[in-house]
Amino acid sequence: MKTSIALKLLMPLVAIAMILAACATPTPVVQTVVVEKTVPVQQTVQVEKKVIETQIVEKVVQVTPTPGPNPEAVIQGVEQGCELNMWTFWLSPTFDDYIKSTIARFEETYPGVTVKWEDHQATFQDDLRNAFAAGNAPDVINLSVSEGWVSDYATKGLLLPLDDKVPQNVKDLYFPGLWKEQLVNGVNYQFPWYQGINVELVNKQLYDKTGLKIEDFPKTVDGLPGLCKTIKQKTGTLCDVRLTVNDLLAQMIYEGGAKVISDDGKTFTFDSPEAVAWLQMYVDMVKDGTLDKTVLVTDQDRVGLDLFTSGKAAFYQTGPNLIREVRANNPGLYGYLAAVPAPVGKSGVLGKGLMSLSVKNDTKCPNASIALAQFFTNPKNMLDFSKLVAVYPSTPASYDDPFFSAAPVAIEDSAKPIAKDIISKYADIVPTIPKKADVNQIVLDAVQQALFSNVPAQKALTDAVAKANALINQ
Amino acid sequence: MNQIQNANVHNTTALRHTLETILWYVVLCLIALVTVFPFVWVISTSFKGPTDVIYSVPPQLIPQNPTFANYIRVWNQLPMGNFFLNSILVTVSTVVFNVLFTALAAYPFAKMKFPGRDVIFYLLLATFIVPPQLTYIPSFVLAVNVFHYYDTIFALIFPSLATVFNIFLLRQAFRTVPDDLIDAGRIDGASEFRIWWSILLPVVRPALATVAIITFVAQWNDFFWPSLMLHTRTNMTLQVGLANLQGMFTSDSRGVAAGVVMAIIPILIIFVLLQKQFVRGLTGAVKG
Amino acid sequence: MFKKRFLTPYLFLTPALIIIAIFIIYPIVAVIYYSFTDFSIVTPPEWVGLRNFQQLVNDPVFWQALLHSFIYLLVTPVLIILCIILAIIVNRKLPGIHIFRAIYYIPVISGSIAVGICWRLMFDTNGLLNSILLSLGIIVEPIQWLAEPAYTLPIAMLLTIWMGLGYYMMVFLAGLQNIPEELYDAALIDGCNNWQKHWHISVPGLRPQITFIVVISSLAAIEVFNEIYILYGPLGGVLNSGVTMVFYLWRQAFRLQHAGYASAVAIVLLVITLAFSIGNIRYLERGSEAA
Repeated sequence: MKTSIALKLLMPLVAIAMILAACATPTPVVQTVVVEKTVPVQQTVQVEKKVIETQIVEKVVQVTPTPGPNPEAVIQGVEQGCELNMWTFWLSPTFDDYIKSTIARFEETYPGVTVKWEDHQATFQDDLRNAFAAGNAPDVINLSVSEGWVSDYATKGLLLPLDDKVPQNVKDLYFPGLWKEQLVNGVNYQFPWYQGINVELVNKQLYDKTGLKIEDFPKTVDGLPGLCKTIKQKTGTLCDVRLTVNDLLAQMIYEGGAKVISDDGKTFTFDSPEAVAWLQMYVDMVKDGTLDKTVLVTDQDRVGLDLFTSGKAAFYQTGPNLIREVRANNPGLYGYLAAVPAPVGKSGVLGKGLMSLSVKNDTKCPNASIALAQFFTNPKNMLDFSKLVAVYPSTPASYDDPFFSAAPVAIEDSAKPIAKDIISKYADIVPTIPKKADVNQIVLDAVQQALFSNVPAQKALTDAVAKANALINQ
Repeated sequence: MNQIQNANVHNTTALRHTLETILWYVVLCLIALVTVFPFVWVISTSFKGPTDVIYSVPPQLIPQNPTFANYIRVWNQLPMGNFFLNSILVTVSTVVFNVLFTALAAYPFAKMKFPGRDVIFYLLLATFIVPPQLTYIPSFVLAVNVFHYYDTIFALIFPSLATVFNIFLLRQAFRTVPDDLIDAGRIDGASEFRIWWSILLPVVRPALATVAIITFVAQWNDFFWPSLMLHTRTNMTLQVGLANLQGMFTSDSRGVAAGVVMAIIPILIIFVLLQKQFVRGLTGAVKG
Repeated sequence: MFKKRFLTPYLFLTPALIIIAIFIIYPIVAVIYYSFTDFSIVTPPEWVGLRNFQQLVNDPVFWQALLHSFIYLLVTPVLIILCIILAIIVNRKLPGIHIFRAIYYIPVISGSIAVGICWRLMFDTNGLLNSILLSLGIIVEPIQWLAEPAYTLPIAMLLTIWMGLGYYMMVFLAGLQNIPEELYDAALIDGCNNWQKHWHISVPGLRPQITFIVVISSLAAIEVFNEIYILYGPLGGVLNSGVTMVFYLWRQAFRLQHAGYASAVAIVLLVITLAFSIGNIRYLERGSEAA
């Protein structure tokens, strides 16, 4: 009978399912502990006291204190009965408590609004794109400014423009350079959240073999090829350098100082001499065999971090907040860690923002969503976050806290004293790029041709410019 | 004299036999090595403690500080239990209903004459060569706008409830059933459904097993479509969860290894238990 | 009588037909329609006529994808040869042979994702393969296997072959067990050695299985996606060296949001698989008639 085979297939499966269901949610066992305490018996001595009771008639005036406005509730007109969805990027499980308690405080501040939180990691982009396609994207989304995601989604009309929906006094809470990040057609689409300061993490064990001193670490990007050659010669390891493959033009601008598009936004110019020089730098490094090619073109920052964490690379550029990953996965390396300021590109701009919170355009509760995004990015909550991990607030007010003037203790804190200065100088110098995803794909193909296929950098970029121009002028 | 000669010949033949047998075992073991070595490596990595080196020249196969910590870490950080549960639910429901529906459909094609039979059959056969990925874009739109089962396991079950391949296989199986059995049933006045249920199905049991197994394996291993449909982590099936695991623990090869082992072991156990049926079922898959 | 001749058969067919109509027939029609539109799933389709197909012709990455899908077909003959040999080897009555057969089947049921991750850990620049080669002195410097354009497809194909060994071996095993012993005995009497025995009897006897596997395996090769995705991620290999037709379809539809263009790719894929399968079946059927 068909049933016996089905049964044989089903039984072990059902058994496994039951076992797993039982194991899946471990319920905490609450134990009542009985503590024995010895209480000294006090002897009460009765003292007769003559108390002349004076009848004081108090006129008690009932004063019901009106709850003053919650200082954190700065957004008006928040819709009632909203259930908001919020996605964060790679914050779980380390920061579960922080996120959950902040959400709890938000729900107290704005009663009538509840928040459902999800954290997504390596597949964040795919999940988000599919969610938008399916029409159930989250209301508040944690987007990476440094990877160019805000302008990606804003150019597709998927994000809510914030300039005219947020009161000026709230806008003034943030560093001006950060509020104006990743503008699309002059409009801002994000609340700046936690910022990072790029440092170069150095593996002293490997680095010392080169004979160079830590202070000699290149201050500008064009010092890297020479350093990588020395590293390869003296230590045999490869350089851990990454191209932001989802936002190549931005990297071209910051590192190479190139102008990628004409001012009227109609012609691409990323085959200029500066752009070619920038690409040629990487081509030369690949030719010299000093780069790890998998890291060079990966779209996951963690892959580059992984190479460094496993002790295979002499340095890696990242934020101090990811030092915790090094500590967790390779405690031995943590003892040999040094941090130096990251090299500056030809543009001279120190960097751009890291993370932001945006609101989706077709949210059913725009004010509530704005309130949630603003709440997480307000000075108090960002200060609390900074105390947990080496990230930095996007609000000047947070830096007044003594936490930031305290002397740095561990290597993670090394950037703390200079953080405010650096972050106030962050600026977004990348112009709006039409059809950004497709143009980026064209540039990515061209860059790979130059890097791996012996196509001269100039030719690769010029062909790409032609293709990109054809695309946007269709 | 002859007896001694015969004995000698016997001995040498017996010796040659033993050598041959040993040789065959060696060959079989070598092939087995090739087959399972990547797994052995991953299992070894999953038990390595933080001080055990993963990459070294020469490679270190046996961990010096074996630990279960990697398994515990992955279990706590990823809802592996949910992954399994979802995979089991999806696969079992798909297999049960798919075999049911395709067995139902195969009967008329095999044993009945009715108008439109050949047209429909060849039309179905034609769809067999359609690449499944082609159907994903419209199915995506259907899942979101029409059936509203995006991000649920129903999105995985419904499209797989009938496959042309299974109909074809079962039709072949039904055709081998002698007509006399069916005619006998009809003379007795049984309804077609009863004939199907009580007479035909028991006879083609091996083919049903084959179809069940093929469908089981295909559905268990399906990745592309589930990855499009499922985005909440607790709704993911095992394959999608595994891909997520690789992303989540990129900096943690031990964790990735532990996750992979956890994913493979249960299906291996089931396979070992049902091994005879698997093999018998598969070998019955292609008979002309 | 009408009921019996018309209604009953269709009642039996209905559940399966409904599912197939909704999830296979409708999508085919829909994709044909989408291929003539500009469509991003989020926005409704907009008719553009043949523009997608014109773009396809001029798209070098599309042609690369086509080429790669055809190169991938090489796994089929390799699989067939290897699996026939394997089946012959395990077709013995040695004690414990069942255990070996089961072991060879493990990669099949483990799933392409789990196996792909194992493979990736091995071929990583700091992975097992490099450490073995280095310790044996065969290479001096670790090779970046997963970043060499020339190795992209071969590594993925190796993975496919490795995963398919057990599966197809079982199919051939069944076929071998169907070949009557007398044929082999007759061959032995005629003085054939082992090699000739298999070439003249086993292989022709396995014709139905070979046909079956050629059709299935070649379809799977043209439609490959999982292996590329798990080994090389969304990039699809350096220089698009791992981009196959289906991978390109996925990238256009779900990464770049060009579902209309992706549908055009899908139509081309459909035409190819159609031509291929018909060609395969015709060729092999003709062969069996001659035999």
